Amino acid sequence: MTTTFRRRGIKAAALIASLGLFLSACSSEDGGAGDADLSAPGPEVLDDLDEAVEIEFWHSMDATNGQVLDGLIEDFNSQNEGRVHVTGSFQGDYDEALAGHRAAIQQGDTAELIMIYDLGTQFMIDSGQTVPAQSFIDADDYDTAPIEEALLNYFTVGGELRSFPFNNSTPLMYINRDAFEEAGLDPDSPPTDLAEIREAAEKLTVTDDDGTVVQYGFGAAVYGWFVEQFMARAAAPYCDNSNGRDGRATEVLFDDPKIVELVEWWDQMIEDDLAVQIGRNTDDGQAAFTSGRAAMTLESTGSLGGFIEQSDFEVGAGYFPLIESGDPGGSIIGGASLWINGVGHSPEEIRGSWEFVQYLLTSEAQSTWHAGTGYLAVNTEGYEGAEAQERAEEFPQFSVAASQLADSEINENTAGCMMGVMSEARVAAEEGWETALTSDTSAEDAMAAAADGVARTIEEYNASVE
Amino acid sequence: MTTGPVIERRVASPHSSSTRHKRARRGKDALLAWGFLLPSAVVFALFLVYPLGRTVYLSMHGNDIIGRPSRFVGLSHFAEMATPQFGQTLMTTVLFTVGVVVPGVAGALVIVLLLEGVIKGQRFLRGAFALPFAFSVASASVIFSVFYSPGNSVLNGILYRLGMDQVPWLTSQEMALWSVCITTVWMNLGYGVLVLAAGIGSIPKEVNEAARIDGATGPRLAWDVTIPMLGPQLFFLIVISTINALQSFGQIHILTAGGPVGSTTTLVYSIFQDAFAYGTSDFGRASAQALVLLLVVLVCTMVQFGVIERKVHYS
Repeated sequence: MTTTFRRRGIKAAALIASLGLFLSACSSEDGGAGDADLSAPGPEVLDDLDEAVEIEFWHSMDATNGQVLDGLIEDFNSQNEGRVHVTGSFQGDYDEALAGHRAAIQQGDTAELIMIYDLGTQFMIDSGQTVPAQSFIDADDYDTAPIEEALLNYFTVGGELRSFPFNNSTPLMYINRDAFEEAGLDPDSPPTDLAEIREAAEKLTVTDDDGTVVQYGFGAAVYGWFVEQFMARAAAPYCDNSNGRDGRATEVLFDDPKIVELVEWWDQMIEDDLAVQIGRNTDDGQAAFTSGRAAMTLESTGSLGGFIEQSDFEVGAGYFPLIESGDPGGSIIGGASLWINGVGHSPEEIRGSWEFVQYLLTSEAQSTWHAGTGYLAVNTEGYEGAEAQERAEEFPQFSVAASQLADSEINENTAGCMMGVMSEARVAAEEGWETALTSDTSAEDAMAAAADGVARTIEEYNASVE
Repeated sequence: MTTGPVIERRVASPHSSSTRHKRARRGKDALLAWGFLLPSAVVFALFLVYPLGRTVYLSMHGNDIIGRPSRFVGLSHFAEMATPQFGQTLMTTVLFTVGVVVPGVAGALVIVLLLEGVIKGQRFLRGAFALPFAFSVASASVIFSVFYSPGNSVLNGILYRLGMDQVPWLTSQEMALWSVCITTVWMNLGYGVLVLAAGIGSIPKEVNEAARIDGATGPRLAWDVTIPMLGPQLFFLIVISTINALQSFGQIHILTAGGPVGSTTTLVYSIFQDAFAYGTSDFGRASAQALVLLLVVLVCTMVQFGVIERKVHYS
């Protein structure tokens, strides 16, 4: 055991050294599809094993979601005794897991299978460590028809599926149904665009005799993911070169007039005491909603379970709003996907990881996963599963996210921006937005300055991988 | 430097019969001294000299996407710091340090002086005031984040019941830094009380008695006798809490994450953001800033030793 491990280490170091040269030579091609030596082994490599191949799976699922995942891993292991054995390993939040993976690449000791958030996709491609998901699909003639099309769209870069969608979500608009009824509004038709939100907020906002607001109509965190969503719904690309899909993105476009309009609207809502100023912490946004302070909020589908549990009013869910009525709509998915590491791993390990991923994508596993966590069922047949059905009956709100995604047109805007510095771009969008809310700077200037700031970071990143 | 070896050297004439013997003994002494020094020298080299050298090395290199130093960039990381944004970071660091050290030390001093007047239950009260010292940065910050939470602030709830205006504790660029300062002062107060209470206990009774006989009471006694006698403890507190303030991280990370719009981004937090936050791994730029921080701490401490320590009275 120890010797194989050590041998693997040396091999990995040699591979990384050669790959470094190799990558620097070929990664300037668009899509970075030059990982020719990382191929998908067939099922025969798992025949006649002396002992089960060990798969270490790095993920970022804790609390309830972590328990559901552990249950799935256990189930898989019992089905594959003597063949494949998976060990789950919680690595902290998405950022921490990515930092850990970076360190592992440096040391040439990556886990067999890793969960990386959507914003890390371009980095994962550029670091050239993984076997593209497409190779497995092609080698096995794997049928992707039941997999949610929007998800395949998001993780396809340069015509190739790069990783396997797994824990994915879209944002929704949540409403306090009790407050809606008290205000004489219909909780079954929540507002669908900014103007309607403002109209509803005017009725939902309650002030006491001294004029102090005790209930705000609206309140959500200044969260960069929402900018990405609003832009997709307004059919505006987030970055150039067709959202980084036709070639490397060189600038972000979140200073678009649509987003300026959104930020101005948001600022005015706060100014007029119709919305509560939350700041960037999403926990604070959630608390403002569940405590009844804000009657409408924006959050991920993954928060639905928690909202129902923590609030003492009836929670309603609707589609994420449009900036203006008449916008085409559509939504970008969020969350993370699974990557199978190739560099430094034996064909048995690579195949073992793929077997486990196949299990996770079955309709049975997806039914359990969706019902337990609120994440989308990646395999849409998962919604028909017994557990998912039971959950949908109890809480019909659970199906809103799926239908929002089903209604969403698939194009380059809803595919989302593909860029190596996506997380920095998201933070910059938040900074620009927050600048407009907390200073005299106009929304237009603030968003333009924030977008300019990202240009330098993109340039540095592109220079370092070309 | 002790005078011992010097005298020895003077006594030992080159022709003395005992020279050889003494030289041998001195060599043995030196060997022994080095032997004793070795463990701490190794630790010092490993955990101080090496990281410092590595920081200097990293500060002059750019990184590849995995975070490995990949190209020599000379001093350009330092040159890039000449931006208004970095100026704001330094300004925030200075404001934060002043906003933590001055009220922190003054507050502890006032509490300890007032407690001097309490005869019954003084020990209990001292203990109670020293208690915040027992809180970890993380737990104290989480508690304060509940106090400040936008939309559900406990403090705003109290203000509301008192009929006062709501305060945007963490959501206004003007207010956020002071909110973080308040949390830090609260956390530091316990340690200050502990140190000053010990100091006040060690002031000789005769000094106080002599002052009283001369007719000094209350504020006069505190200002002219007690505070000067507390000089060494106050000086120690000022130096330590300045260094602590310059290195504060946890409360900023938990309460504001450097925001809104960088208004609470101190030098340490900016280093963290460049090196680890948002999936970046710009260790070059972070290392360059770390060296600036080292310089700031060094200068602050030297100035404090040069200016304040001269006025400290060591009894």
